[in-house]
Amino acid sequence: MIRARLTTTAVLDESTDVVVTTAGRWAAVLIATSIPYRLLQALFLDQIFEVGGKASHYGHLLGGTANLIVLATLVALWGRAVYARACRLALARGSSPGREAWRVPPAALASYVLTAAAAAFLGYLTLFTLIGFAAAVVFSGLAIGTMELNERVSVTRPFALIVRYAKSVRIPIALVFVFFCAVFVALINLAAAGQLAMWLSGTMGALDAPNWQLLFGMGNRRFVLLLFAGAVIAVEPFWIAANVVFVRKAGTQESGDDLRAWFEELQRAS
Amino acid sequence: MLASSIQRCAVHQQRPGFARCMTCAKTLCQECATQWDGIWHCAACLGARRTALVERSRVPAWIGVVMLSLLLLYCGARLMVWTGAVIAGLF
Repeated sequence: MIRARLTTTAVLDESTDVVVTTAGRWAAVLIATSIPYRLLQALFLDQIFEVGGKASHYGHLLGGTANLIVLATLVALWGRAVYARACRLALARGSSPGREAWRVPPAALASYVLTAAAAAFLGYLTLFTLIGFAAAVVFSGLAIGTMELNERVSVTRPFALIVRYAKSVRIPIALVFVFFCAVFVALINLAAAGQLAMWLSGTMGALDAPNWQLLFGMGNRRFVLLLFAGAVIAVEPFWIAANVVFVRKAGTQESGDDLRAWFEELQRAS
Repeated sequence: MLASSIQRCAVHQQRPGFARCMTCAKTLCQECATQWDGIWHCAACLGARRTALVERSRVPAWIGVVMLSLLLLYCGARLMVWTGAVIAGLF
């Protein structure tokens, strides 16, 4: 499945193939495990906007939600690990993987939890500096991409692997930019679909359309936050697949496996 | 460590000695000797060393990874609240 040269478009093309192959069961696992995490994030943001400048008086409320987010994060990380493994298997075989995708090696999962926790910490720390936050997103993408390369548990090796693949940082940065745009495109699509549904429901007399429009209108902060959560959930399978494809392609280029595969292809063709 | 030409490999008697295992001191031919960290070892001693290394390093590494992950998750949650409070103060 490693076909084209290592470029952003090649990574995006192959990740689309991988998502199509793994769509269904494995994308459903990812989405099902991500929903609690994203909804709790939306709830946290809603609480932040609700309490406003008096946030310091609501430490227990915000802290309680943050603790729930940490628990939901662990579930979401497991879902991402299963999906990333499914992507890797699909990349190797060219067909949807079976039950073996569930068997994420414990060392790989532990390494991923460590690097993802570090990425989240880095993300919150540098939230106000946009470049720092973008770096944290690149780091988190490489964390899921390199997850399965961790054959043994180590505190330092997962980070060393990320640094190794970050050497060709141009492509991960391009991927962050592409997926940042994709989230907004997904958001616009979801909002348009919502408005269309509202408009259609308005044509039915039995529904209390004005009331629904208040709930599902863009003026409702909670609805907008839910739309954001939905957009991120919709884009996430492609994001993870792109990072897995990038790491695999970069790895094969580094080891010379791409040349070997190309040579074999030429031999078969002749 | 180079062995003299008179000595023979402990595994292959017909072959001349090439090196000596630094753990069991057996003379080894070129095929049986493996250099690791600049030191010659026989296959058995190298295997035993590797097993011991893996077994020794597993538990502390797991403890380290789990503790560091929990610490980062806890600090991340606190940082999330702090960042949230700062953002809330802006509105």
